[in-house]
Amino acid sequence: MIVGGTERPFFRWDWVGSHVGEILERVLEHLVLTGIAIGVGLIISALLAGLALRYRRTYGPITWLSAGLYAIPSLALFAFLVPITGFTMLTAQIGLVSYTLLILVRSIVTGIDGVDPAIREAAVGLGYSRRRLLLEVELPLAMPVILTGIRVTAVTTVGLVTITALIGRGGLGFFILRGLGRFFETEIIVGTVLSVALAAALDGLLVVVGRMVAPWTDRRSRVGA
Amino acid sequence: MEVAPMIRLEGVTKTFPGSETPAVDRLSLTIEEGETVVLVGPSGCGKTTTLKMINRLIEPTSGVIEVAGTDVTTEPAHELRRRIGYVIQQVGLLPHRTVAQNVATVPRLLGWEKTRIDARVDELVELVRLEPSIRDRYPAELSGGQQQRVGVARALAADPPVLLMDEPFGAVDPIVRANLQQELQVLQARLGKTIVLVTHDIDEAITLGDRIAVLNVGGILEQFDAPGEILARPANPFVESILGRDRGIKRLSLLPISGVALESGPVVMPGASAQDARRVMDRYGTDWFGVAEGERMLGWHWAADLTDSVVPATGARPFLARLRRGDSLRDALDVIVTSHTRAAPVFDGDRFLGMLTAETIAAELAR
Repeated sequence: MIVGGTERPFFRWDWVGSHVGEILERVLEHLVLTGIAIGVGLIISALLAGLALRYRRTYGPITWLSAGLYAIPSLALFAFLVPITGFTMLTAQIGLVSYTLLILVRSIVTGIDGVDPAIREAAVGLGYSRRRLLLEVELPLAMPVILTGIRVTAVTTVGLVTITALIGRGGLGFFILRGLGRFFETEIIVGTVLSVALAAALDGLLVVVGRMVAPWTDRRSRVGA
Repeated sequence: MEVAPMIRLEGVTKTFPGSETPAVDRLSLTIEEGETVVLVGPSGCGKTTTLKMINRLIEPTSGVIEVAGTDVTTEPAHELRRRIGYVIQQVGLLPHRTVAQNVATVPRLLGWEKTRIDARVDELVELVRLEPSIRDRYPAELSGGQQQRVGVARALAADPPVLLMDEPFGAVDPIVRANLQQELQVLQARLGKTIVLVTHDIDEAITLGDRIAVLNVGGILEQFDAPGEILARPANPFVESILGRDRGIKRLSLLPISGVALESGPVVMPGASAQDARRVMDRYGTDWFGVAEGERMLGWHWAADLTDSVVPATGARPFLARLRRGDSLRDALDVIVTSHTRAAPVFDGDRFLGMLTAETIAAELAR
């Protein structure tokens, strides 16, 4: 692929310059696709995790199902969905959301299971109702673990969004696919580099969010002050 | 006038699922308002199970539990628990909440107004002797002793009439534990809560309990009485074994010096003759004598210091350990066995009151 001759430079900055508008549009599309997938994935995962926590016996099948979805090759999944839901946003999101479930469900359940039993016992003993215990004690304490799950999911999803270019979505994947189609390296590189940068930026953002929602984890160094 | 007991257990049995034998077997206990009852016994005696049945963290298999005259099952468990303070060994502070927020837990659950909560938190931080500066720290930034104080403050926040404490000082080192025990006593003298405390440490039970319930494996109540009574008259060999081999010494710690008639001891006036000094030493069978001017104790000399015809005017050795009437006979015994004179002088300020010897203490135990 790397055959840059003298008359055709390997990377063409002039192409980037003349396509700024389109690039920004695709970055935005990429972010929207990722955001929707993670948002919807979180809602579904929260429901599934709630079910698994309430009725322990369902945790096995829920994990098994989401692991099954996770294991399906993404190309095959989209190929299978297109005849049913067409070249639509829905098709893209069914795929993307499916891939978020395994990690999200697991991180929510693991996070809540990981709450120190002594803390739970004290809280219940002081008079927390079941609902308030979940919302005010268990969820906040599970947040660092859940956020780690969200970070992994976010990075995976940003990468996966490029695949949806095959069904007419794709954000930055659009450039990669079109670049491949006409052997134009610049476009492939722009799509790839920006996609990686987007994943890194999102990950960094979530680290900051994590510090904000769990400030108590950050101050242990002050012990004995 | 008949006052209803604060806590009443009537024929309470708990058999855990999958277990043949009950963890607690037909236990009946009546705990009066304002008293501290300590549940003590070996592991498997159901003491923690019993405690947790009072605030319904564990539901009894059968029997009735009443708090303040009301059956605990007549209201939702979480509402009952907001009226019962709860302290556990691991403290269980909410790590994502500051000290102030932790203390405010129950008032917040009860929906108090913010200004009232803030005022109450200030009050409690002072009550359990925490520095106000730690209000905004997270639990992970506190020492074990500080955490336990916050735990006690949190349990007292909504001023519950009943306080349940499950091995509250089990996780802190012995020095901090002794401090916290003492502070609990001071606190209790001020607040007059009804306290049920679980421990496996008989010394803690003797120190803190107005009454002690000694439980045997399977939740069988062996004896339920004041510490002094239990030490003086253990109901059976099991209770004796729980009390340990130093039962007599433990009893001494409950008996104040003020309850015993003091001896004047081998004491002479300054300027007394050597003969007088020898006479008092003979009477008490000692090889030393004290010199006191009226009620002012000047010190003591060895018999060998009598080189002249009168007792020396100077050079008296001071009594290093000075006991007061409020100290226990155990303190006195300690002075006796560690001093040269084998006697424990008792003072009221500078006033010399008399002495205790091992014989007086032994006689007191035999009563």
